Amino acid sequence: MDMFSNLALGFSVAFSLQNIALCFVGCLVGTLIGVLPGVGPIATIAMLLPITFGLDPVGALIMLAGIYYGAQYGGSTTAILVNIPGEATAVVTALDGHEMAKQGRAGIALGTAALGSFFAGCVATLIIAALGAPLTKMALLFGPAEYFSLMVMGLCFAVVLARGSILKAFCMIMLGLLLSTVGTDLETGQERMTFGFPPLADGIDFAVLAMGVFGFAEVLRNLENKEARDVVRSKIGRLLPNWDDIKQSAMPVLRGTMIGGTLGILPGNGAVLGPFASYTVEKKIAKDPSRFGKGAIEGVAGPESANNAGAQTAFIPLLTLGIPPNAVMALMVGAMTIHGIIPGPQVMTKNPDLFWGMIASMWIGNLMLLIINLPLVGLWVKLLQVPYRLMFPAILIFCCIGIYSVNNQPMDVAFTAMFGLFGYLLIKLGFEPAPMLLGFVLGRLMEEKLRQALIISRGSFMTFLERPISAGLLLVAVIVLVIALLPSMSKKRDEVFTE
Amino acid sequence: MSLNPAERSRGMRIKSTQDFAAGLFMIALAGLAFYLARDLSAGTLRQIGPGMLPKSFAAICGGLGLLLCLSSLRYEGERLAGWSWRGVLFVLGGAVLFALTIRGFEIGPLRVPPLGMAVSGPIVVIVAGLAADDRNVKQLVIFAAAMTLFCALLFKYALGLPIPLAPWLLGI
Repeated sequence: MDMFSNLALGFSVAFSLQNIALCFVGCLVGTLIGVLPGVGPIATIAMLLPITFGLDPVGALIMLAGIYYGAQYGGSTTAILVNIPGEATAVVTALDGHEMAKQGRAGIALGTAALGSFFAGCVATLIIAALGAPLTKMALLFGPAEYFSLMVMGLCFAVVLARGSILKAFCMIMLGLLLSTVGTDLETGQERMTFGFPPLADGIDFAVLAMGVFGFAEVLRNLENKEARDVVRSKIGRLLPNWDDIKQSAMPVLRGTMIGGTLGILPGNGAVLGPFASYTVEKKIAKDPSRFGKGAIEGVAGPESANNAGAQTAFIPLLTLGIPPNAVMALMVGAMTIHGIIPGPQVMTKNPDLFWGMIASMWIGNLMLLIINLPLVGLWVKLLQVPYRLMFPAILIFCCIGIYSVNNQPMDVAFTAMFGLFGYLLIKLGFEPAPMLLGFVLGRLMEEKLRQALIISRGSFMTFLERPISAGLLLVAVIVLVIALLPSMSKKRDEVFTE
Repeated sequence: MSLNPAERSRGMRIKSTQDFAAGLFMIALAGLAFYLARDLSAGTLRQIGPGMLPKSFAAICGGLGLLLCLSSLRYEGERLAGWSWRGVLFVLGGAVLFALTIRGFEIGPLRVPPLGMAVSGPIVVIVAGLAADDRNVKQLVIFAAAMTLFCALLFKYALGLPIPLAPWLLGI
């Protein structure tokens, strides 16, 4: 089969010494930031972008991808041992994982999480490999109108899947779109909303915005919330689950993988919803739902698998359609563009070694994570004892040097600080900034496609409805929005997120 | 803080001050964007001009802001919480100081030579570190020196990024 020869090509690329080393570094850094609460993959990848300038594109993307899914692994460690989710997606793991740790079964919880994630990672890698080619073929049928409708659908998903109020998520998307129009107009060369300020002529730099909102503003948010660190003092104990544990968690892992993998493909950051959905499902079908929240192993196995599967299938929209489904993927777009690769369906035909090498490296990375994570648990626990008063200045100096190095512009650091203030303001006003970043990223592409589509159709909006694929995508978008706005559904949505 | 004069006069109450402020914030941003984009031509649908999308997005933002304000009158929600000015001042201040000192700057009579990471690094760590409630200045100073050394080795030497270290002392 084609898929296997392609995967073989991928493995031959990923198994070069340099790429294995980069994958390892990526996974290690990812785990590290996943473990440390208050540093997320968005800020880290933005910070490390300049480092990848010197690498070849395949190596750079392998490392960045490693950071991303490594963070998903690491986040669960903190959730289980300290009851603080290291990453947003590990929120659910903390519920039962930490209870297990209190009962002296921390090792089993960690082991189950790691094994479940590994399984999910393997399946997700296969899904990407299998779906890559057909989706890419489909993408070649897409004209500007279809792309525009697809992005509209992605943003609708992002609104529905965001945490908190739908209205506020809508605000954030529109604000992101608005911010994306700052800078020189591509067609006429006119400056738009730049205050006549030269550094803004190229538009707002994505790394600057991301680092301000997710690096600096997060620090400010964390400084305010006094965190109670509840590090498990008891011994971690045996890491490998026994036969009973495996039997109990096998089905949840399978279900979690399916749920997470499916949601991850959705444009608009579906991956975040995976762990929540999986936890709800496990609780619903359990014989004795009251065990949940008191250390049920299913409550660790399912969501952990879902979260890892979703993190990986989120690469599908990026690699096949060139549309980033979340902010991390948007940074990947940045990394690709720096190396002169335009993400989209043509990547697979023009740079097959990059496409398949990256996919193969994901499987290798998952294996590495399994190997490095479990023996290093002791080290991560030590790291967690570093007080936040030392951790955030360290985050800050890294952010400053990182953002300075992107363009060697001190001005960028000051801009980042300004966006940090902006992000803090958003947090204070109860906005969740993640959808804004997605809107910002898609904004420019959307404007370009909209203009092209309207030029082709001679100014008729009907083109979006007359073309069948485009109409279908818009229909899905409308249905999703309507369903989410139905009173009964919006109540259920709240339930999923508060659990 | 009373955000709404109508509250006293008509007994209409803002049920969520946070949402109300968020709505005002959106409206203000939309207004600013509209003002900045006022001279950009919107063009026609056949040939969209540079102003079309900024203006439409701004209009939608304003509309959503208005909706948020209205909903804050009807639905219960969070209250507006206080700010931690110390965090904002020290953390963001530290970053701005880094920006000003790393390659130096000149604003009117004020002139700072390029100081490089050897100075900017400790500045950002120490100034930001002061924002913590449980700060320990001695520990912070030692930590700043260690972090700067580590960053210099990592970014300048291991990764080879062109970041000035200490031009006034070492010439690099």
